[in-house]
Amino acid sequence: MTIRTLTDWTGVVGTVMLGATAADGGTRSVSYTLGGESDLPFLGDPPSGHIPLVAFELCDDPAIWPAVVREYAGDLSNDPGKWAKAAEADYGADLVRLSLTSTRRKDFSGYAALKTTIQEVLRKCRLPLIVEGSNDPSIDSEVFAVCGEAGEGERLLLGTAEAGRYRSVAAAAMAYHHAVVAQSPIDINLAKQLNILLHEIGVPSDRIVIDPYTGALGYGFEYSYSVMERIRYSALKGDTDLAMPMISAPTDSLTVKEVRDAAPAARQDIAVKWEYYTALSSAIAGAAIVCVRHPRTVPLLKDTLAALWSGQTPGKV
Amino acid sequence: MIDVEKAIGSGNSDLKEKVSQLSGIFSYEETAYHLPVTFALTGIQVHGAEAAREAYAVTHENPLVAMECLTASQVQANGKGQAPYTGFIPDADLRRLGYSLVDGSILGLAFVCGTPPHPDMAAGICRELQEKLMLTFLAGDVVGSLTGEGIKVGVEYRLVPLGPRPSHGIHFLDVIARVAMMFGGVAPGDADRLLAYARERAKAIVILFPGLSDGEIAMVNAFSLLGIPILSIGGYEGGAFLPVDAADAVRKGMEIKGIRVSVTAIPIPMACSPAFEGKSIRKEEMYVEFGGGRSPAFELLSVRPKEEVKDGQVRVIGPEIQEMKQGGAYPLGILVEVSGSQMKKEYEPVLERRIHNFVNYGEGSWHVAQRDLIWVRISKDAVGKGVRIEHLGKLIAAKFRMDFPDLLDAVQVTLLTDDQAVMDGKLLADAVYVERDARIQGLRDTEVDTFYSCTLCQTFAPNHVCIITPERPALCGAITWLDGQIAYEISPSGANQPVLKGQMIDQARGEFEGVNRFVKKASHGEVDRCSLYSVMEYPMTCCGCFECIAVMLPEVNGFMVVNREYKGETPSGMSFSTLAGTIGGGAQTPGFAGISKTYIGSDRFLQAEGGIGRLVWMPAVLKEELASRLREIFRKRGLPDLFEKIADENSAGTIQELAEFLVRAGHPALEMPPLL
Repeated sequence: MTIRTLTDWTGVVGTVMLGATAADGGTRSVSYTLGGESDLPFLGDPPSGHIPLVAFELCDDPAIWPAVVREYAGDLSNDPGKWAKAAEADYGADLVRLSLTSTRRKDFSGYAALKTTIQEVLRKCRLPLIVEGSNDPSIDSEVFAVCGEAGEGERLLLGTAEAGRYRSVAAAAMAYHHAVVAQSPIDINLAKQLNILLHEIGVPSDRIVIDPYTGALGYGFEYSYSVMERIRYSALKGDTDLAMPMISAPTDSLTVKEVRDAAPAARQDIAVKWEYYTALSSAIAGAAIVCVRHPRTVPLLKDTLAALWSGQTPGKV
Repeated sequence: MIDVEKAIGSGNSDLKEKVSQLSGIFSYEETAYHLPVTFALTGIQVHGAEAAREAYAVTHENPLVAMECLTASQVQANGKGQAPYTGFIPDADLRRLGYSLVDGSILGLAFVCGTPPHPDMAAGICRELQEKLMLTFLAGDVVGSLTGEGIKVGVEYRLVPLGPRPSHGIHFLDVIARVAMMFGGVAPGDADRLLAYARERAKAIVILFPGLSDGEIAMVNAFSLLGIPILSIGGYEGGAFLPVDAADAVRKGMEIKGIRVSVTAIPIPMACSPAFEGKSIRKEEMYVEFGGGRSPAFELLSVRPKEEVKDGQVRVIGPEIQEMKQGGAYPLGILVEVSGSQMKKEYEPVLERRIHNFVNYGEGSWHVAQRDLIWVRISKDAVGKGVRIEHLGKLIAAKFRMDFPDLLDAVQVTLLTDDQAVMDGKLLADAVYVERDARIQGLRDTEVDTFYSCTLCQTFAPNHVCIITPERPALCGAITWLDGQIAYEISPSGANQPVLKGQMIDQARGEFEGVNRFVKKASHGEVDRCSLYSVMEYPMTCCGCFECIAVMLPEVNGFMVVNREYKGETPSGMSFSTLAGTIGGGAQTPGFAGISKTYIGSDRFLQAEGGIGRLVWMPAVLKEELASRLREIFRKRGLPDLFEKIADENSAGTIQELAEFLVRAGHPALEMPPLL
């Protein structure tokens, strides 16, 4: 089943490269090109651009991680290096997203440990890496300096730049040649403005990935979907300030009420479904990378995306 | 006095001689940029005497290239400098440094070199540079002066001792050259790009003491090619050197390069936040008051040449609060003087309006009204905590700098409390107010070629575009054409963009080619045409923030206007909220328009439909609010009794009652050409 587009678009989504292989001076086993789409997602035969990638997200301090994931992953969740390796070898993820949750602790000062963690993950897992740094402006400067330096040469994707605080992450990307996640709160105008701010400071377009912010299905996801659609429309209509690939991280979908209150026996299944449907919808809305936290979601998503990409009807989940 | 021009001449021949004597191979370690200054300027990878001489020749004997090659050759021969000197800074450290520059944790770079006449002079300058978040590089005897004064040097103290001779200052320039190549995308050999990048982006200054050799003077003078100001303290004359007093050197250098320290905390003994904006200070809580009809008071903001404004300076002319009696009313003049290369005279009233917000931000200060009608109170609590008149000035100065960092370079505030000074000042201020009124009121749409857009509301009305003209403010009433202009200036990629009028398509409707083009793009292709002065054909879209709604009433051949505050029904059969729900959300609805209150009094209001003579109904409260302005307008248009002919909910609640009222009153709309 192939749906053809009815519109003649004038613009193209720009491309961003992630991950550096030995040929590019890095140690990744693969590198990806995001973007390049000249039509709406999944339209055309074959569709334009690249099949959406599935990133498995893990953290360096599981205290604030969803309970369903900690329960499922067990001891692995205490060892980011091993966990990243499992994401590559066992779950089959395309990328790994390392969330530095340890920086959320009060009076955080373990900058040296962050460096060790990032290097450990890079050593144990050869997939391209996304690193989510601090979310506290007072430690941004030091955290992103560490992230940038620890991943030098690997062409990471560093997150997250926001309108009020983008300088440190931008600086790390510029100094150490990484790309940046530019997040705005479900608002196309703010997304555009942040991209312009990043340009002004010197980050080129081919190193910016838009994160329009993703709410969980049933908890405001439709707003995210609509904004992603509009960003893609704008890109295809020729707005170069919005013509970047998008990343979506429906991080709240494993902690929604329906998962928390589910009967223990069914909880894992419900969690996976909730995350799967949210992430799948994001990919259909146009995300180039979808990030998930439950290991079981990864293969399900990859199968469905592959089927949709080749014009097949995906199997039942 | 050292004649700089003469020193440059002899310095250059000195350098030329030395370059000709260079021999062997030499290079810096731990860098991918070879000899960075030379590499950036010429693209030549110098690793020895021959290439050095080639690069020197290619750059027409540039003293920077000479000094860099000579320095590298010395490093090769004698090894890198001894502690505390850093010598050449490796790429890895430079990346970190560049990171801090982009990141904003350092604001700029300074180079201080030479032999300070007094050690404490160098100490004072370096402390000031540290406080202002500059990263300072040092070369020559200044390093010894500082350590002698007990000042610690090292990268961690933001004071980097490059080397024992001023010539080691070439490392300051290789830092800038590498930052340009690493972060600015400057290709090696593209000297024009390098110079442009350094001029526009590198926030760097040089402060110079005496004691430089002629060759070193030639080198430092060449820094000016990169737009780096060279501030010299004592002993130099000519060239690109700017003689300054030691006390002014840092401030002056930062001013020239536009390096601004952002204000984060306001040093006054009361809390200060928008959270306090809505409070009031009642008579019993008040310590003193100013204006409000009880005493003369005024406020005035004016733009001045930058030499006349000393940033942060606050003066009180007249008695301070301790000399005032509790419960009394005293005269007050608030004079705010600002400077800034982007600041324009037209912005004065817009900025002056902010004094009102800022004073109200203070936990114990209160402000109402504007110009010479102001009324200010300071609370007993605040005075008990040590708040003085002076602190109002500090608060105002700091808030202006915080809120308009790009627009204003310097803000100084003078508070007059002396009777005579206030009276004199008020006379001058009154003249300014009159002049301003003439300027704004006089400003016609036909006199400007640019309007401003507002797409602030696209967050909820995705295709709505407001076009703001001098005679038609934004439909919310909050943004005038001048505000649009200033907002664009402050935030060039923000929600208010300039809209070139372009060719006129229809004079009466106010339809312009440029406006249509802009609206089409900004509405994402949804709206093709927009007439600025018509409600019937291609009216402007509405977000949801309109102060009022103008509605065509076909039965009576006229328009009613209903304001947001009015809760009742209107003759159209719909309340304000029902109407708002019908026309909002970014749609174009012929027969309906969202408008501001001010626009009702504009000559452009209903221009395409025959003007204000079409106005048949308004809620009593709106009529009352606009009474004096409307009467004046009607008088000018030769409709002296029109005000009484406009119905309200008391005289006409339904469309039948309205029709009867209008016939009784003999309203001119009934005689006008049919609207449909």
